[in-house]
Amino acid sequence: MSTARDLVDLADARGRAGAKLAVRDLVKTRTSTSGHTLTAVDHVSFEVRAGEFVSLLGPSGCGKTTILNILAGLDAPTSGRALVDGRPIQGPGPDRAVLFQEPALFPWLSVLANVEFALRFVDVPQADRRGRAMKWLENVRLDHLAHAHPHELSAGQRQRVALARALACDPDVLLADEPFGALDAQARELLQNELQRVWVESDGTKTFLFVTHNVREAALLSDRVIVMTRAPGRLLEEQRIGAPRPRDLDDVLVQRVVSEIHASLMKEVDEDVSREMGR
Amino acid sequence: MANEAEPTTSPADLAALSPEEQEVLAKVAEIVRKINYGTVVLVIQDGKVVQIEMAEKFRLR
Repeated sequence: MSTARDLVDLADARGRAGAKLAVRDLVKTRTSTSGHTLTAVDHVSFEVRAGEFVSLLGPSGCGKTTILNILAGLDAPTSGRALVDGRPIQGPGPDRAVLFQEPALFPWLSVLANVEFALRFVDVPQADRRGRAMKWLENVRLDHLAHAHPHELSAGQRQRVALARALACDPDVLLADEPFGALDAQARELLQNELQRVWVESDGTKTFLFVTHNVREAALLSDRVIVMTRAPGRLLEEQRIGAPRPRDLDDVLVQRVVSEIHASLMKEVDEDVSREMGR
Repeated sequence: MANEAEPTTSPADLAALSPEEQEVLAKVAEIVRKINYGTVVLVIQDGKVVQIEMAEKFRLR
């Protein structure tokens, strides 16, 4: 019998390797063209352990994407620290793959060539690139479309190619920013299942950090869901979910977590409205 | 008014539980002791508890 406690112990065992990703007292401010200073992220601290699947959830504009971009090395903190393996992040690196909402595929390359291209940057010898690319296309069940071009694919299939390309490079960390946001409900569900499978099969070797505003998606996929407040973004609450995968949106626990997070978020939005109305 | 069909378990009956039932309850108790706010779900198939799931909530501010 697999119990929640076993699962938590497993997560703790994975965590003993130390934090894979960490942000400490992170602040990010921006100056608008009119000279106002806006705080996007307001003193946020959290860690993601090696092998963990964590979702960052919050209303739009709460700074979750900013945190992800900082961890990806695409943006720099105003103050505070962002660490990978305990070292400050200097810039993007092949150890951290990023999956965006729009799959940035090269339109002039075939599906297979798109995946092969990425492998150049992680020093995979040319002779091995094709085999490895094909293996990952099989993994996302797109091997039959290897020689098609991106414009011949559906949005869901394109995002699957982007996922295959990201994972083919064998990154320690996958950072995903609303990767399924632009997909229809069915394609989204397929990819969620695909991602659960990939994460399970990685057997604790891959760390996933997922930015989403979809409460159901976060509860379905994650070991931990970190919920943020409205802008300026701070941490509101954390849900630690001990249930084996694959999970289903109909699972009692998933539904329960979804309704709890939903209630917290609605309370947050209500408070915001009350403040704006001067009550 | 105990109905024959409805199992009634008072604290005194705990010793009468089968080893499997005791194991399940011990695990539930272990989880409950560690959680301040949260949910525990028992998944039952064919009359047997096949899985214990839990979610714990932490306030961060």
